[in-house]
Amino acid sequence: MNTETEPCTSCKKSEKWRDDFPIEWEGDNYVSRREMVKFLTLGSLFLAVANWVTALGSRILRRGSQNRQLLGSSDDLKANSSALFRYPTAKDPCIAVRTGEGKLVAYSQVCTHLSCAVVYDKAEQSLFCPCHNGRFNLEQGAPIAGPPTRPLPRIRLEESGGQIYAIEREA
Amino acid sequence: MSTRQQGTILFTGILFLVATTVVIQLWLLTVSMEALLSGAMKTLVPAAAASTILLCINAGLLRYVFRFDRQIRSSK
Repeated sequence: MNTETEPCTSCKKSEKWRDDFPIEWEGDNYVSRREMVKFLTLGSLFLAVANWVTALGSRILRRGSQNRQLLGSSDDLKANSSALFRYPTAKDPCIAVRTGEGKLVAYSQVCTHLSCAVVYDKAEQSLFCPCHNGRFNLEQGAPIAGPPTRPLPRIRLEESGGQIYAIEREA
Repeated sequence: MSTRQQGTILFTGILFLVATTVVIQLWLLTVSMEALLSGAMKTLVPAAAASTILLCINAGLLRYVFRFDRQIRSSK
């Protein structure tokens, strides 16, 4: 007697379950692809933001390195000689060179190959890295011989009132 | 082929495209970090701009996915 009604109630329960979760198997794949695109776009947003944070953070760091620092008297640095100093922090060794023509230039002393200290080579009028025979020109700090491929970071100098000041570290 | 099946293939293609651009963005970020540590600051802003362009492409594709999805649902 009741046997006719019982399957119907279980059938209704099953239908209710399907109403709560109406996504079919194919549709389920469809949804997860869409969700994946959404997730990847969110990741893309984070990566773009991280890139901008890196770029703007470097600007702030660079601005911090634009402090003016007294290096010494102009008379102390004769023509065709060099002097060592640290700029912008005590951990950044640099070299200032007064060329034979009297031009004053300064670069980071850290070789861009494997971070050895470069020295001034009077005979060749260049900066020489003794570790792997790397050589940089004095005009731009560009590599001219040996394994280095990147130029030395330049330090902008200013001569005023008979004094030499380091004013900025260029990239 | 039903519209839903076409949509599945289309979404798979879009998914691969978005995944590729995200990998390129990841590479750009790695290069930026390396440039930051080596002091080559000139490359950072162009890298960030390129990353933003890729983000815009991804956002456009995502918008297309949502529009397509809305069309499918409204046509049911």
